[in-house]
Amino acid sequence: MIVCVAVVGHNNNPLYLQSFVDDDNTLKFHYIVHCSLDVIEEKVSNSKRAGVNLNETFLGLLYPTEDYKVFGYMSNTKIKFVLVTTDHDLRDADVRNFFRRLHGAYVDAASNPFHVPGKRITSAAFAERVSNVVKTFGFGAAA
Amino acid sequence: MWLTGPSGRANLRLEEAGFGVGIRMLELLCHRDKANRRETRVLGILSFVHSTVWKSLFGKVADSLEKGTEHEDEYMISEKELLVNRFVSVPGGMGGFNCGTFVAGIVKGVLDGAGFPARVTAHFVAVEGQARPRTTILIKFAEEVVQRDARLA
Repeated sequence: MIVCVAVVGHNNNPLYLQSFVDDDNTLKFHYIVHCSLDVIEEKVSNSKRAGVNLNETFLGLLYPTEDYKVFGYMSNTKIKFVLVTTDHDLRDADVRNFFRRLHGAYVDAASNPFHVPGKRITSAAFAERVSNVVKTFGFGAAA
Repeated sequence: MWLTGPSGRANLRLEEAGFGVGIRMLELLCHRDKANRRETRVLGILSFVHSTVWKSLFGKVADSLEKGTEHEDEYMISEKELLVNRFVSVPGGMGGFNCGTFVAGIVKGVLDGAGFPARVTAHFVAVEGQARPRTTILIKFAEEVVQRDARLA
């Protein structure tokens, strides 16, 4: 099941972090997401050197740690989405779909004229949409 | 000249309003465009602005995109009848004011969000044979953008 979802801005500033597990403290997830940022940067700069300029791309499994798996996705505007989950067999298509919907929810939240780009996302509607996507994702993977 | 005086403040506020729209437009268009590549070349981002952004804002691509002859870092997007200028008449007292500054702000927001800082301004250019002047959006890229583009070439 999904334990944590995070959105990081283009200056590597955290915009949103939500954990879906009650017992662990969020600090651990902050740490995990922070480490994954390094892996993301490495992946992006590697693909540039190879001549392929991939972006808006699903970066795939970033790294497995303890019993968590961390997936990454970066949009053209350098907004990074990080997903931390304990599921062991996740279909690639499911995770891609999840990130697509997350990206859509983010774009809607950023379109708010009162939202200051670069500041944390405080919209309750965005939090609700993220929870909905997480809930429906759980069902898809279990089936 | 453009930023001073009573019309200067109005120009500045219009530009800021357009800037916010520009950044959000970039996020939205990048999300909707399925097979999108992030633009790293100046020409790439300019043609993105000229076609995709214009099409989603005004329903048509811009009339023309030209490279400035005098300076390496200047480009111009022209429109015969810019929507914001079409139904607005500027009183004589506010000589320097051009409603196209709002669109210039949008372009600036898109370029800035994509990593191409630039100074963008709107100007009227008189055209013979046409009663109303044509509007030109002048884009002057920052020094680092020109250097980076030369390095990538």
